[in-house]
Amino acid sequence: MQIELKQIVPIPLKDKFSQRNSDVWNQTVLFQHGEWIKIKAPSGTGKTTFIHTLYKLRHDYSGQVFYDDQEIKNISGDALAQIRQQKISIVFQDLRLFPNLTARENIELKRVLQSPFYDAAIIDEMAAKLGVASILNQRAGLCSYGEQQRIAIIRALIQPFEWLFLDEPFSHLDHENISKASALIAEECSKRKAGFILTDLDEDAHFNYSKYLQL
Amino acid sequence: MLNSLLKKLIKTASGRTRFVMAIIGMSVALLLILSAVQIQIDYDDLLYSKTNQDSIANFLVVNKILNNKTYGTATFKEEDLNKLKQQNFIEDVGILTPSRFKASIQSYSDRFPFYTDISFESVPAAFIDVNSKDWKWKEGDSFIPMIAPNMFLDIYNFQFSLSQNLPQLTQDIVKMIVFKVNINTDKGPVSFNGKIVGFSDRISSLLVPQEFNDWANQHFSNTQNAKPSRVVIRTKDPGNPALVKYLKNNGLTTDADKTRFSKYRQIVNAIVNVSWITGAVMLLFALLVFTLFIQLTIASCKEEIQLLITLGASPKQLQKFLMKQFFPSNIIIIIISLIAITALQFEAHQVLQEQNIFVNTFTSYYTFATAFFILLVLWFVNYRSIRKYIAVQDK
Repeated sequence: MQIELKQIVPIPLKDKFSQRNSDVWNQTVLFQHGEWIKIKAPSGTGKTTFIHTLYKLRHDYSGQVFYDDQEIKNISGDALAQIRQQKISIVFQDLRLFPNLTARENIELKRVLQSPFYDAAIIDEMAAKLGVASILNQRAGLCSYGEQQRIAIIRALIQPFEWLFLDEPFSHLDHENISKASALIAEECSKRKAGFILTDLDEDAHFNYSKYLQL
Repeated sequence: MLNSLLKKLIKTASGRTRFVMAIIGMSVALLLILSAVQIQIDYDDLLYSKTNQDSIANFLVVNKILNNKTYGTATFKEEDLNKLKQQNFIEDVGILTPSRFKASIQSYSDRFPFYTDISFESVPAAFIDVNSKDWKWKEGDSFIPMIAPNMFLDIYNFQFSLSQNLPQLTQDIVKMIVFKVNINTDKGPVSFNGKIVGFSDRISSLLVPQEFNDWANQHFSNTQNAKPSRVVIRTKDPGNPALVKYLKNNGLTTDADKTRFSKYRQIVNAIVNVSWITGAVMLLFALLVFTLFIQLTIASCKEEIQLLITLGASPKQLQKFLMKQFFPSNIIIIIISLIAITALQFEAHQVLQEQNIFVNTFTSYYTFATAFFILLVLWFVNYRSIRKYIAVQDK
């Protein structure tokens, strides 16, 4: 699946963005299938707005977003769910775990939402790789933010996808954990021949990016 | 697995009392509606089924009311008969033909001396409730079969015999007695042998075969073609209020006891109507509470549902899950109501049987069909409200 943006500008930020040069806002941008894209942006330039727009969580923008040939404003309900189950996975900046479910249940929910891509045992494998195996049976609400972030990453990786949206996915991780997590993400994306769009504040060398964009 | 996770997220426990009340209300409503259907069907059964067919009830002897106004004109004209035949609650009309000659019967036996003047009536065979192979007559036969009203024998056995110190007689004994039947003609009396071949509850006169009566009227009568003054009608339902009304409006009268069902029927109708209207209103309210309960549940789990949708749960999946939470209680209610109705029906069967009233042992399939229909309605209402409130969260 390819994703295309045509002159999107968030309406609440219209005045602010029309002054700046951006590789994304108000441009035509094409994300080809399997591209690893880094979007760098300072605080307050709309990283989360961008990811949410792409994921069809907000509609307050002008311009158009296409998944393949379909404008996402025309996709809704069960069809949208189908895309989120099979083609697009996401790690939110604010993580969005269910605080009352255990870490494992949060991941499991995403695993069984569609016909499972992986066996349940993979959850333990991934958790072991990211060093969160011991807190899997703890309520997510009781985990530290760093732990929750890794749980959210595993949750995103447990399902099938063609695109992975990562909104500052390493904000609360130390260097060692970042390299473990990025290695796992790279492995999973390669395995699926999937692309990702990662937003962050700074330059980094966590991945072998195929495209850099400035927001 | 998904369901058990969803169960943890979407708690249906909030507002449990409301839910229980909606369930109770719905059960009572269903019981009322289903029993209304069952009572109606039982009553129809009583009216129309073979086992309950009351030979008195389906045949009514009708005559015009005889009073000072109608004196001398209380006979049926051709148009009266046609009008009767046209009524849809009257299936058939038979004319009771009276004998128009003087006759008497007497016993041959000295041990049982008996003589009385008598008149006969005849009616087409289809209107007679006695099956006897002897019930036939053709010209030249000297033997005349007769059907006597049960009432005659009762009067004899329980009044006359006691006052005259005579022996009581059973139906079988009477059937064995051969009477001498005399008809007075201009050329002197003509004699026949006669025998009672059966007793009837239907028509309160001494009946002879139509063939005999017609022949005798033709040969021995001085008046020709007198108009009939009584008819017998066959009807499916003598309790039909329309029939009772028709008779009243046309100055006709019949044995009031035979139309007694008319009153019962109005009572049954009233009960059935009250029952099902109350049931329907209750069902409506129960559905409303149920819908509100669904709305409340979804609203109280709004955040969880929104996040589930964000993560890719499809509205369809959530609807399916919620249907699984709410709908089975409806099925259980229906099943319990049907079991209760079946038990009541069985009990009614037992109790009424002792009074020689036969209703079915089991619940009618109409009742099951109604239950199924209500189940469909419940499914539809559940489905619609879940769909609607999930869609609200999806916005």
